[in-house]
Amino acid sequence: MTTKLAVFLVGLALILPVFPALAHHTVVAIYDNEQPITLTGTVTKFDWRNPHVWFYMDVKDANGQVTNWGFELNGLNVLSRAGWTRSTLKVGDTLTVQANRARSGGPTANAREVTTGTGQKLLTRQQSTLQ
Amino acid sequence: MTKTERWIHIGLVGVALLLIFALPSHAQWLNYKLATTPRTPDGKPDLNAPAPKTPEGKPDFSGVWRVNGYQYNIGKDLKPGEIDMLPRAKALYEQRRKSNSFDNPWAQCYPGGVPRAWLSPDPFKILYMPVPQVTVVIFEAVQTWRQIFTDGRGFPNDPDPTYNGYSIGHWDGDTFVVETTGFHDNNWIDSAGMPGSDALKVTERFRRKDFGHMDVAVTIDDPKMYSKPWTVILPFTPYPDDELVEYVCNENNRYPVSDTIKPGEIR
Repeated sequence: MTTKLAVFLVGLALILPVFPALAHHTVVAIYDNEQPITLTGTVTKFDWRNPHVWFYMDVKDANGQVTNWGFELNGLNVLSRAGWTRSTLKVGDTLTVQANRARSGGPTANAREVTTGTGQKLLTRQQSTLQ
Repeated sequence: MTKTERWIHIGLVGVALLLIFALPSHAQWLNYKLATTPRTPDGKPDLNAPAPKTPEGKPDFSGVWRVNGYQYNIGKDLKPGEIDMLPRAKALYEQRRKSNSFDNPWAQCYPGGVPRAWLSPDPFKILYMPVPQVTVVIFEAVQTWRQIFTDGRGFPNDPDPTYNGYSIGHWDGDTFVVETTGFHDNNWIDSAGMPGSDALKVTERFRRKDFGHMDVAVTIDDPKMYSKPWTVILPFTPYPDDELVEYVCNENNRYPVSDTIKPGEIR
């Protein structure tokens, strides 16, 4: 039992530093680092509110089938400090999103990197005003 | 104007600013340069300038700060055995790790508590009020606050348990020592789920060696959870050109913990 706990704690120590925490809940409880996905689509909704900003995007697959995906971002406070505003995304914008898919397997993901149609990469993490 | 009157004036201006917190624009919240911030010739905040002083001549911790590291695991730099969990703590910690902290109170918009609120990636603001001798900390995350009383009062007798407890402070030289008790029994000391009970006593020792550097040595003393007290020193980085922004956690929260919603079924 003690060995088991020791292995558990050592394992924990090894994996903890690589898990970034979102502002108010932990990412890994919901999203799977082992399921990275890249999707391109058209914005249908931009929900600029705390504790987490969400946007939704229609994504067409190879068969022409359209699925509406939901993407979770950081809080609007964090994104504001990273240069976002409530008009950074607009309905109809084309975006490419790198994300980690939800463990549920549904069309939901945690956006790591957002690239606009003009190739501009939008930071999704906080920057200190000193950096 | 005497020094004390000037501080009352500054305090009132601070309260007025808090009252107009609900203005929609971020323009004056982020990247707003305070006249009182010491600056280098190129206009950047001078982090090595002397720490400001209170009217009493003690270091003044006022300002906007954010923890530097430690956001997830408060004990990450301690040696094995420094945190010695008793069986109740071990069981709770293992359960919280298994769920990847899904049921943590913060995810339901409850306050982070002590010391966890320090560990948020969102900044907080310290305001020292010489009259009536109280240090107020307002936390952007979940919009909660703490009051640290330095007017000589003691702890209340048999208080109702709370998330942030009851804090009284005193000075040890230039170190501000804050003791806090009166917590709920279901505490999360960090986001990894280190537990705290209603027997938790937290001692925080604040030091500000210059304008740009503050650290807080946090001692966790909880005989129901740990065989001995343990201490972590948290470093903080200033956000001198920032104010806090409004953060209404319930506005768009998707993470109520219930029997019907499982991790990953949220959208």
